[in-house]
Amino acid sequence: MKKLLLIITLIISTSTLFAYDFIHPMGGRAAAMGGTSVASQGLWAMQNNPAGMANLEKISLGLYYENRWMLPETAYKCGAFALPTKFGTLGVSFNQFGSSKYNENKFGLAYAKAFGRYLQIGLQLDYLLLKIGNEYGSFKAVTFELGIQSQVTDKLTLGTYIFNPVNFSFEQTLNHERIPIVFRFGLAYKFTKDFIGQAEIEKNTDREGVSLRGGLEYEAVRNLYIRAGVQTNPGILSFGLGYAIRFAQINVAAQLHNELGSSIQIGMIFSIGK
Amino acid sequence: MKRLILIILSLFTVSFARAQIAVDTLSTEALNQLLIEQVERLAEDSDDDADFEELLDNYIFFSENPVNINSDEVMRLVELRLLSAFQYEALQKYRRYYGDFMFLDELEMVEGFDEQTLAIIKPVICIEKDKSKDKLSFKNMGRYGKHQIVGRYEQVLEKQQGYAPIDDSSLLAKPNSRYLGSPQKLQFKYTYNYRNKVRAGFVLEKDAGEMFFTDKVSDTIQRLLGKNYRKGFDFVGFHLYAKDLGIVKAAVLGDYQVAWGQGLTLWSGMSFGKAGAGSSVMKQGRGITPKGSASEYSFMRGAAVTLGGGPFSGTVFYSNRWIDANVSVADSLDEAELVSSLQETGYHRTIGELQDRHAIRQQVVGGHLAFAIAHFEVGYTAHHTWLSTPLQLKPSHYNQFYFQGQKLTNQGIDFKYVKGKFAVFGEASMSYNPDTTALQKALKPAFAGLAGMTFKPAGYLNFTMLYRDYGKTYQNLLGNAFGEGSRNQGQRGIYLGVEAAPAPYWNILAYADHFQFTWLTSQVNAPSRGHDYYLRISHSFNRRTNAYLQFRSKTKMKNSTDAFVFSHYPIFYTKNAVRFNINYQIGRDFHFSNKAEYAHYRNDDGTNEHGYFLCQDIAYKPEDKPFSLTFRYAIFDAKDYNARIYAYENDVLYSFSVPALYGKGMRFYLLGKVKLFNATLYARIGRTVYSDRDEIGSGLTLIEGNHKTDLKVEAVWKL
Repeated sequence: MKKLLLIITLIISTSTLFAYDFIHPMGGRAAAMGGTSVASQGLWAMQNNPAGMANLEKISLGLYYENRWMLPETAYKCGAFALPTKFGTLGVSFNQFGSSKYNENKFGLAYAKAFGRYLQIGLQLDYLLLKIGNEYGSFKAVTFELGIQSQVTDKLTLGTYIFNPVNFSFEQTLNHERIPIVFRFGLAYKFTKDFIGQAEIEKNTDREGVSLRGGLEYEAVRNLYIRAGVQTNPGILSFGLGYAIRFAQINVAAQLHNELGSSIQIGMIFSIGK
Repeated sequence: MKRLILIILSLFTVSFARAQIAVDTLSTEALNQLLIEQVERLAEDSDDDADFEELLDNYIFFSENPVNINSDEVMRLVELRLLSAFQYEALQKYRRYYGDFMFLDELEMVEGFDEQTLAIIKPVICIEKDKSKDKLSFKNMGRYGKHQIVGRYEQVLEKQQGYAPIDDSSLLAKPNSRYLGSPQKLQFKYTYNYRNKVRAGFVLEKDAGEMFFTDKVSDTIQRLLGKNYRKGFDFVGFHLYAKDLGIVKAAVLGDYQVAWGQGLTLWSGMSFGKAGAGSSVMKQGRGITPKGSASEYSFMRGAAVTLGGGPFSGTVFYSNRWIDANVSVADSLDEAELVSSLQETGYHRTIGELQDRHAIRQQVVGGHLAFAIAHFEVGYTAHHTWLSTPLQLKPSHYNQFYFQGQKLTNQGIDFKYVKGKFAVFGEASMSYNPDTTALQKALKPAFAGLAGMTFKPAGYLNFTMLYRDYGKTYQNLLGNAFGEGSRNQGQRGIYLGVEAAPAPYWNILAYADHFQFTWLTSQVNAPSRGHDYYLRISHSFNRRTNAYLQFRSKTKMKNSTDAFVFSHYPIFYTKNAVRFNINYQIGRDFHFSNKAEYAHYRNDDGTNEHGYFLCQDIAYKPEDKPFSLTFRYAIFDAKDYNARIYAYENDVLYSFSVPALYGKGMRFYLLGKVKLFNATLYARIGRTVYSDRDEIGSGLTLIEGNHKTDLKVEAVWKL
């Protein structure tokens, strides 16, 4: 309880603006690598940069839970399903931030396609649902997110992602509260076969300043990945492990914040196909 | 024979070692990139809305009319800073030794011509073997001359306050509260060019808010404006230029620019100043050049001729132009008129601006003598300006030594020596004003000088040093030399620059400039000082992917805004900026680019202002189709004007925009280009949407609403 009060005080004192949390890096890998995800591939790309799921080969289902600051009231829950087809990858996703008293929900329909070997483009249409207590009711909005990824060399992948590019707002709310624009771009660099570094910058129009992020991943033994990362604004250090077998992978991460303490993330992906 | 072996050798090295630089795939991309960087730096350096159009006209001109690498015209590339003085020397040496170039690929054999230089200059050079086309005759001029017509329309689509309806009596009560004309900006330009030897053209322009044929103005206002009431194109200019006619090296009639030496004595028009390419800041005067752009300030109108023979050349010029000024009657007894300020914007939109239009006559007469041999050049420049009405500024401490009166004479000597590892250059200049005040007279003679040197110990490394000392009583209405700010007066400083390629595909460019103002300046109540540091690290991942990281920190003094002090004394202000930029190409047709910029400004009360900018550019330029599309999406967040961010935007041909973004919001633009037979059509729409305000701008440009949309349409016909 004391902690919750502290967090509320901190939130109120640092920002007089209300900030939404629809957009947050999802997946245990991104969480362990300082939140870097804009140039990554895989199922969670659907939520982080839909272009990254264009080359998905297997039908995949993923579940993710983040116990942010070890408080169930600020948890993220996320699910995603992707179906690779001849015409590109299709996906549906859901994520929720908050608890029963206050929660933000995002339902998404995603599509991604690769153009040649070097370019992938992805799109997700979103339905946003904001629920506040009982007497305040719920608010709805529709928006979309776009992403691009390109392999400019064998080692270097670049990615750009924009959530809500036209700055839609919740029309029914008192102040027609604007949904933030989130703009990220960054890169993934494959130093060696088993060592990857990622870096990116994110601007969320609801927050002061920008967030800079960096992360490293090392495949220590076959299929076992060790990860670490750092991000600024808020300043967080993160660590994690991942293990992959043929039809499943599990990724866990821990994030440390100087004042707010730690967060634990766990994600699982199941896939079928060759 | 030696030459033949060399060519064969070069072809081998080209086909094996450098197979990846196939010449035909090199586009103007590298040149564009260079220009973008220069223009952005220039925009940051100039305090007001500088007119880049005229400056960049030259670049476009040469990309459409390439210079013959085997002619002296290559010097123009040095003037435009596409080649360094060392590269020019190496080129001349090569030609002396092996004769004229036969293939462009031969350039790779010339010392100092690296891949990057070649990518930049290839679009602007050619090899011309057929000398028969060069013969100046009416037949050739008709057959090989190129005609071009450019028409452009632009407009801000939202209603601005200056165009809101108003009745006559309220307008007469507040005459400058409305623009008299329509919100469209129109330009029409015709140019003729025969192998860069004979050029002619005219330009017509009407700025947004200026009266056009269709605008209606009431009789009262017409009477109020008197002779200044005019409709139609506000600016009309023409030029007729020819060069290399025997001993007549160049001659021009109409609008033109003159520039010699380091620009301390005479350099009309714009110049890159500190923002030049690379670390070298040596200028290369371009002599007399025709002016085809519609910029309305700082140019010559009249005639000029350059004669030359052997190492000597000489120029005389005369200009007679009506300029905008605020004229008032000083003494009611003899009705003597005085000018309180010169207007430099070229806008004639409101009653006030129209009353100042072409109010006084500025005449300039001058000349230049030059002596040039292989590595050495020396020149003497002199000019005399007189105004039809004396200028008398509103007295203030900071403008004590500014030009006032009616007449001004400047003369100066410049030199340049480029050989081996060294380039040494300099200029000394003095001014004489017969109307100097007693205070000005009591001080030392009006003198200004600069001297610099570039040392190149190895191909991948060069250092530049420049010292300048511009006296506080030195006055010049037509100078534009290296310096902090635009005024070559009351300034001392040292500049150090370095350019290095420490490893393959890595480049570093850095400079430091320390300056002092020896007298007060506008909003600085004491002599002041400051410094400017710049560092850029760039890397090419491959030929299609390059990135750079840039830091800039500039500290200057300005009066404290503290309300609780008795007298406002100057204190230091610093602006820091960091930028990351990456360009990459996907497949053959897609060009992508990302940019992130952070700006920081510290206020005198210790608070900080931050500015952020992120953008994604996508250009679709299919090589085999007659159209292209360019798109940008950007977001910015800079609460305060001091932390504003300048972002170059692609634009229709011959037009440039570098908007200063501040506030909070997003901006996008879409630019399309279609080629139809010998015409090219361009259309661009850009929109800024703010999330932190419900009205944009102030005064006459105020827009009620949170978005501003600009539209431009242009057609270019080539015959």
